[in-house]
Amino acid sequence: MATPATPVRAADEGIPDSGLAGPFAVGEYAAALRSKLRSFARVQLVGELVNLRPSRARVYFELRDATGAVACAAWREDWEAIAARAGEAPAEGMQVVVAGGCDYYPGSSTSSPAFSFAVRDLRVAGEGDLLARIERLRKRLDAEGLLEQQKLLARPLLPRAIGVITGEGGKARDDILAGLRRRGWSGRLVWGFAPVQDRHAAPAIVRALGDLAAAAQVEVLIVARGGGSLADLLCFCDETLCRTVALLGVPVIASVGHHTDRTLLDDVAAVSCSTPTHAAEAAVGVDCARARVEMAAAAARLAGHGRRALQPRAQIAEAAGRVREHGRRAVLSRARLLATLSRAPAAQLDRQRSRLHQQLREIRAGSRRRIADERLLGGRRALVLERKGTSSLHDCRERRPRELAQLSLALAAHDPQRTLERGYALVQALDGKSLASAAAAGQARDLRIRFADGVLPARVTDR
Amino acid sequence: VSEPPRASPGQGAEDGQTYEAAAARVEEIIRRLDSGEASLQETLALVSEGKGLIELCAQQLTEVGDALEELRLDELVSRLEHEAGA
Repeated sequence: MATPATPVRAADEGIPDSGLAGPFAVGEYAAALRSKLRSFARVQLVGELVNLRPSRARVYFELRDATGAVACAAWREDWEAIAARAGEAPAEGMQVVVAGGCDYYPGSSTSSPAFSFAVRDLRVAGEGDLLARIERLRKRLDAEGLLEQQKLLARPLLPRAIGVITGEGGKARDDILAGLRRRGWSGRLVWGFAPVQDRHAAPAIVRALGDLAAAAQVEVLIVARGGGSLADLLCFCDETLCRTVALLGVPVIASVGHHTDRTLLDDVAAVSCSTPTHAAEAAVGVDCARARVEMAAAAARLAGHGRRALQPRAQIAEAAGRVREHGRRAVLSRARLLATLSRAPAAQLDRQRSRLHQQLREIRAGSRRRIADERLLGGRRALVLERKGTSSLHDCRERRPRELAQLSLALAAHDPQRTLERGYALVQALDGKSLASAAAAGQARDLRIRFADGVLPARVTDR
Repeated sequence: VSEPPRASPGQGAEDGQTYEAAAARVEEIIRRLDSGEASLQETLALVSEGKGLIELCAQQLTEVGDALEELRLDELVSRLEHEAGA
């Protein structure tokens, strides 16, 4: 390369004892470098298109193969002409042939310099070796059954702790928090920050996965990145990372790619989501706010069933209560009756005793009156008897003998013997019956005739 | 050799029942009760079981509904080590 024309001022002298030319002003050197690079022969390069970054004026990308890479840039109008000619815009991972030459942007005091291979033309040559390698690895993992291991794990609907691996300053972090808020989830969130791009990313992610999975409280893991080119996502096609995820006992939710670029991590993970927000919603399978409402409704329905089921029992209990009340009243009534009855003998005895005492008093009083009366009556009777005795004695002594004599005389006057003695006779039948008429005597025929001095038999012979 | 799966993700240590299993059983119980085919004894048993499961679900929902706790991995490890040491 030719040296710049003018050396720097004496004040900016070079390194002592250095044999090299200069120092030269860097701007001049950069301009000389650009001239030199532009002088290189224009050639065609073949490689895999990665890290495609369109900008307003130019399209930047890299061309890679197994041994090296070159930064490339194309003017926007050239790129659009290439796409129009090919029928589609060249995409990540494509094997392409580019035509052009070296160029160098010298930069300035406010902008960085950059080398690029200035692409003037491009032809799509095939799918690309990088994608082919990824596809071969995918088939190998599939053949080993590693694409299904994570999908066999049970994912909790409601994890209490979630582990997240993402870049510390990335937008994915905010998206995950937003997704969890939408689920109404406020559990424990453990961040395992790790680089999610470049060659250091995969080993760091593997370490973070192992550490988070070892924490027994973490029930689900999210690996998230906020999108990027295929080159940015290459770390998520790392074989060690994919095998680690496949063999983890904790379900992993991947959210590192997008609809067009699917990484191997998306294939081995339990779930693959297009955005970190969706990954958060996949990690919490239930809308917590709605679940709380549904649980309250379920509790109310259960309570309703319980009340309806217990209604007959309540009715029975109510009836039993009424029966018990009736029983209680009956017992109370009986108790009162028994109490009354238990008190009754005493009262009855009292009444009887009083009555007996009264009767006794009455009897005593009666007796006294009776005795007095009897005594009075006895006195009177005694007096009467005395008088009667006196009279009887008089009778016995005087009047009775006289009366007896008179009676004796009267009796003697009526004695039939005395009649017989006066010459009368008494006609009797043989049986002693007096016959007071001739007819009776004639009918009896055999007679007895009684005289005062004896009896003669007689017979009626002629009537 | 793959890492053995956890006993049951979301499993409550004290009850051994996951939220999803409990919620599914509650739905099953309510379907059975709504059918009107359960006897009195079965109804009472199902209501009792359902209430217990709902309490379990509500408890787990409460655990993830109080306040978001953000930890870095190294903080969690330190906490677990501290708890293990205590």
